Amino acid sequence: MRQEFYKTLMSPVWLVILVLAAVLPPLLPSYYLHIVILSLVYVALASAWNIVGGMAGQISLAHSLFIGTGAMLSTALLLKLGVNMWLGLVISAVISGAMGAMIAWIDFRFQLGHLSFVLITLAFAEMGTVIVEGWDFLGGASGLLLPQDKGDFLAFQFGGGIGAFWVMLVLAIASILINVAILNAPLGYYLRTIRDNENAARAIGVNILRYKVAAMVISAMLSSVIGTAYVRYLTFADPYLLVSPIIIIEIVLFATVGGLGRAYGPAFGALLLVPLGEILRGKLGGTLPGLHYFIYGVVVIAVILMSPRGLLPLFEKWFSRARPKAATTK
Amino acid sequence: MLEVDHLVTGYGGVPVLQDVSLTLSAGEIVGLLGANNAGKTTLINSLSGMYAPMSGRIRFEGQDVTAMTPKQRVEIGIIQVPEGRLVFPEMSVRENLLLGGINARARTHRPRQMDHVLELFPRLQERLGQKAGTLSGGEQQMLAIGRALMAEAKLLMLDEPSLGLSPLFVQYIFGIIDRLHAEGLSILLIEQNLNLTLRHAQRCYVLERGKVAVEGASDVVKDDPRTRRAYLGL
Repeated sequence: MRQEFYKTLMSPVWLVILVLAAVLPPLLPSYYLHIVILSLVYVALASAWNIVGGMAGQISLAHSLFIGTGAMLSTALLLKLGVNMWLGLVISAVISGAMGAMIAWIDFRFQLGHLSFVLITLAFAEMGTVIVEGWDFLGGASGLLLPQDKGDFLAFQFGGGIGAFWVMLVLAIASILINVAILNAPLGYYLRTIRDNENAARAIGVNILRYKVAAMVISAMLSSVIGTAYVRYLTFADPYLLVSPIIIIEIVLFATVGGLGRAYGPAFGALLLVPLGEILRGKLGGTLPGLHYFIYGVVVIAVILMSPRGLLPLFEKWFSRARPKAATTK
Repeated sequence: MLEVDHLVTGYGGVPVLQDVSLTLSAGEIVGLLGANNAGKTTLINSLSGMYAPMSGRIRFEGQDVTAMTPKQRVEIGIIQVPEGRLVFPEMSVRENLLLGGINARARTHRPRQMDHVLELFPRLQERLGQKAGTLSGGEQQMLAIGRALMAEAKLLMLDEPSLGLSPLFVQYIFGIIDRLHAEGLSILLIEQNLNLTLRHAQRCYVLERGKVAVEGASDVVKDDPRTRRAYLGL
């Protein structure tokens, strides 16, 4: 199974992406570059979430807490205490990991079912919002403004635009590769036994608590790191964007539309839906208020009705039908 | 091999099993009978560690296992085939079988055990790459038993293996159970099907509302009027 991971790692596709990444961004108008960066942020976030939500089948809505910690805490540490943002990134990731472990433990200890897990994590997410809003150290309701990005790498600055693009590209690819690695490792199989049937997983001797905690900690730390990088790109640490349940609902949506539990599914969903949403808003936002949301909603409903398991499986089916030989040699 | 002493298990403080004692010697096949709600599944789940008992002792091969987690019990060879089969539907038959043998004791013997399982159930050989959720009920039962055997069970606990199967498949599964018994495996068999169990088990316990109502050799239990009473709840 490990060969599968190395095969992915050595795939020539990465070279193509690298060349495209080096050539394309400087040619793009800044608005489109922004859309590309935003898509990569969500590719990374949706893939990180997939470890818990897709593989283990635990629809966690608490991830806005981890993203928010990565964004707000690292910013506050820099502005209020002068802590270097690299260090802030590590501190936030560790705290996010600890919170993730705690939530996984609560889930295990009280044997929450799927629905209770969703509701409990939503409650945690809401608590996070309230805490950030009420705590001046984290910027309160008005948020925090980061100093201008001058491209000083040691201060966690990447020079905006193209620099941010590279950071997000690295994070998105790392996030996807971690997915591939876990899916091909024992951890991935154990998480899928938990998703398919937790009682049967216990009956064959899977240590449920250990793997639930492992999945949640990896996912939480990854989300936190992405949160820190995202806020550096945005420059403005806005609690209503970064710690709100909206961001996590979007992530769940992208992952579901793309294909839950698959290594590339959530990334696929984010790459499709983020540009769609942004472009619809750009083209139609001024004509009839809410029209772009309406069209976006119709597209999402259509996708879910057409392929409840996500778009990626659907595309794979089409692809193997069009080229039956390619499918059998796999 | 297995000794259960005055076991009391319940949910939320309300005892379901009240003072159940039973024994099973190595190589024996013991039946556990009873109507719905008699506590059969609660008992098997207590033995596999899914539920912590309120009081009482469980010993396995002389070792006290009462406080062990399900994982630890799998490690020492107490393996359950859960009620309703509970295969992993989204994974292939091969993955299901391999995952059965993840405990430290069985892990390195997986290829050998796999051959054994596939020889017992040739049907699974044909289905190795297929998703377990697409198998028929009988095939899923084979897979569930195969998965338990992959764990190198010393004590195999089967929870209603005949549930929802056609009579032909039930016969087949019980043939397999007899064969496993002949190979020396110790088996605890939970069933609602009275006659079938009495025919295949050496000894039987009949549970009635969380208590052992009748116990003894199968033909003794068969003729005991209390057995019928326990079943009909009179």
